[in-house]
Amino acid sequence: MTTIRSEIPATVWQVKVAPGDKVESGDEIIILESMKMEIPVIAPSSGTISSVLVAPDDRVQEGDALAELDQ
Amino acid sequence: MTWKPEVEELERRLELVAGMGGEEGIARQHGRNKLTVRERLPLLADPGTFEEFGRLRGEGTYDANGELETFTPQGKVDGMCRVEGRKVVVTAGDFTVRGGSASGSHGGLGEELSASERALEWRLPYVRLIDNAGGSVRSFETLGRTYLPDANSFSHVDVNLLSTVPVVSAVLGAAAGIGALHTSLAHWNVMVDNTQVFPGGPPVVKAALGYEITKEDLGGPQVHVRESGVVDNLAASEEDAFRLIRRFLSYLPSSVDEMAPRGDTSDPVDRREDELLELIPKEPRRVHNARKLIELVVDEGSFFPIAPLYGRSRITGLARINGYPVGVMANDPMFLGGATDVAAGMKAARLMQLCETFHLPLVDLADEPGLMVGLDSEKQGIERAGARLVCITNACRMPWITIVVRRLYGVGGQTHHRATGMFRRYAWPSARWGSMHIAGGASAAYRREIEAAPDPEAKRDEIEARLNRLGSPFRTAEATGQDIIDPRDTRPVLADFVEDAQRVLVRQLGAPLIPYFP
Repeated sequence: MTTIRSEIPATVWQVKVAPGDKVESGDEIIILESMKMEIPVIAPSSGTISSVLVAPDDRVQEGDALAELDQ
Repeated sequence: MTWKPEVEELERRLELVAGMGGEEGIARQHGRNKLTVRERLPLLADPGTFEEFGRLRGEGTYDANGELETFTPQGKVDGMCRVEGRKVVVTAGDFTVRGGSASGSHGGLGEELSASERALEWRLPYVRLIDNAGGSVRSFETLGRTYLPDANSFSHVDVNLLSTVPVVSAVLGAAAGIGALHTSLAHWNVMVDNTQVFPGGPPVVKAALGYEITKEDLGGPQVHVRESGVVDNLAASEEDAFRLIRRFLSYLPSSVDEMAPRGDTSDPVDRREDELLELIPKEPRRVHNARKLIELVVDEGSFFPIAPLYGRSRITGLARINGYPVGVMANDPMFLGGATDVAAGMKAARLMQLCETFHLPLVDLADEPGLMVGLDSEKQGIERAGARLVCITNACRMPWITIVVRRLYGVGGQTHHRATGMFRRYAWPSARWGSMHIAGGASAAYRREIEAAPDPEAKRDEIEARLNRLGSPFRTAEATGQDIIDPRDTRPVLADFVEDAQRVLVRQLGAPLIPYFP
């Protein structure tokens, strides 16, 4: 299992996956917002989303867990 | 008659030196998962090229007949070696001897040149492999006195080196006291994962400030590579650190008197990447991948990032274009929207100084929303950081090319331009610019008109739409002659500029006009 973390302090704008969803490496799973820009969070590998840990409008800090991925 | 006994003494002394601080110290070093200094040097040097100097130095004790009884080597190993075929001077701390600290006796009459003096006089790059615990009060007992903190008696050499030859520091173990200073008195530095940098360690912090902290939390990579920016790059292992040192040095000349060595030229200069046509999203809120942008235009595999985990809204590093070494920087919109905060400004200024000192052209891929706004940025002193950036951008002379790939706004935008010397600027059709942003600027400039309108929000939208129509880069080009290019032509344009830059750089060889400040 891989924990996908935020690399920046930001606000969660869109969550594009739900637990159980299959994703391919490089898919956008969450979009963060920082400085009026949309920052995509990319699946680091292919697999199944086992949990989503944030919702739109949540504030996240650098290093915070966003979702978990089962390879 | 023969000198054999004396030669035997020489051999015996060299054997004692090779034994470093003794078996116990060596075992402790290995126990901490660290290599000894004599295991490290062959990993840095081209095979068989390390030539030690001053190797008989140390402290001997003698019996009643004047015969050597015991011998402790100095806490470091100095020498010259070749790195990728080019000579460098190395000084390497030996933690197995008194934790690598100096004995407190230096600079006596008849003393041979130090490693740093030799690097300065020979005009050779200087590499420090730092593994020492700093000064020890034990030395006071040995000396029978204390001494004034006069390390500037030799630090002045280290300072001169910065404006003369490439200086690299690698933190391979402890870097305390003067080791912490030497970490930063460099053009580039690297630390290994399980190492720390601090002027005073946890016991000193406890005595001065009264709190407990581990050495990892106080001076580990989390602090220095990510937050303070004191150390540029993080190495996964000592072997990785040596690989990075070899790579960093490969982009630079041996001294300010020489041109940087040209590398591999197999990547065609007319390589036009279709991907560049789609790199910048049309939707203004979407970000592009700045790292990918760099990699598409420089020679394949040649990009070497400097301080990739610090000041992340600006990517800085070294690369090659048509084999010629260049400095490269690019705003990274993934972090702070690409804005220049104090950390990113420091990174940009250091890269420019590096280029100026070692005669590298600068390639700037600008997408600059401006200097970072907000209370945190004010508390960090963004104005002075901006002023420093304006000073260095105006004082430097190296050929500099800016490609405006997207936004260029405000004082931050100004720092991607120089009005003098060999400076060239191109824009992509995706570029937008202004002395200020239209969005925030409209609210400020038309405040009364907006507030007086029956529907203020609609009024603001109307004014912004009117202003946005003025924002086409072609309107600017009509008036100023600004060259706008097909993004796919970026690499050919850069290659042509960098080739022309060589003729200008030859005239700039020698000591830099601005002394290098770390």
